[in-house]
Amino acid sequence: MPGWLEVILRSFVALVILFTLSRILIRKSVSQVTYFEFICGIVIGGILALGSINLQIPIAYPLMGLLIWVTIPHIIGWLAIKSEKLRNFVYGKGIPIIKDGKVLEDNLKKERYSSDELLKQLRHKNVFQVADVEFAVLETTGDISVLLKKDYQPLTPKDMNLQVAPIKEPETVIMDGKVLDEPLATIGKNRRWLEMELEKIGVAIENVYLGQVDSYGQLTVDLFDDKLKVPSPQELPLLLATIKKCQADLEAFALETDNQAAKNMYTNNAKEMDEVIEKVKPYLQQ
Amino acid sequence: MTVASQVKQCVASLKNIEATLNSLAIRSEDKEASEVFRETCQTTRRVLTDLETRVKEMEFEEPQYKGF
Repeated sequence: MPGWLEVILRSFVALVILFTLSRILIRKSVSQVTYFEFICGIVIGGILALGSINLQIPIAYPLMGLLIWVTIPHIIGWLAIKSEKLRNFVYGKGIPIIKDGKVLEDNLKKERYSSDELLKQLRHKNVFQVADVEFAVLETTGDISVLLKKDYQPLTPKDMNLQVAPIKEPETVIMDGKVLDEPLATIGKNRRWLEMELEKIGVAIENVYLGQVDSYGQLTVDLFDDKLKVPSPQELPLLLATIKKCQADLEAFALETDNQAAKNMYTNNAKEMDEVIEKVKPYLQQ
Repeated sequence: MTVASQVKQCVASLKNIEATLNSLAIRSEDKEASEVFRETCQTTRRVLTDLETRVKEMEFEEPQYKGF
């Protein structure tokens, strides 16, 4: 067999092997891989490259090498799931580098981490002042994870004692002007409903690039023609406004009437509507 | 606008609210949301019946306000 043909054959086989390996091995992106896994990957690549080009090496040698370099890390990975000690030994453990707002210089030195590097990594996390950090861990991948002090953390609805409505994932029902029947069925709607909704906002389905339905069954669309303006769903805010108006009306009636029984009735109902407002407000305000 | 017609208008708005809440209760996928809408819908219905009785009383006391 001529040399060039053998190179082609070997390279082809190497490619197939690489492809299957990368599929079955691990589902992590390159940045998440630990040092050990990274080196294993490089060695596997090297073996494949050598085996496919260097014709002096018998074909069995790289295959044997691959067998070891693939199975052993695989087994170690599997065992590491079972045993915490082995896991810490092979993959290492996160090391705290800032604790109680103070930088742990000893740990930094041990990991050969310079102050510049620390600042750089903190900036990656949008932290520009070390004093804002309560706790930080140097992960095994070399990133750092940062816990900010409570007063520097972003405000959440819970901090504000706000009630918020639960949210469900929206379903995409139109893509590139075509109706997707399956997601439409999951939310219990059909094409007829979709046609009606589109008619309500006055657009043709061919003009819709993306259409999504939120958890309250409201349709939002993005059009190919960006000059057209699409009305945003008005139903929920409108409902809230109507309830508020009714509540105010009831209060006004209570003030106006001279009949005591009617006055009481109006006041009670005004209170009831007030409760309704409080209950539905988180759901209707978006 | 007379008070009676104002009350009638309010009744109409309440009917609208009740219907919308009801449809939201049916449409909402989230159980909690659906429950809230159902509860508020029932409250609205109670208020609505109260007001409707009041409208009848008004029409009885002052028959000239009868109808629209």
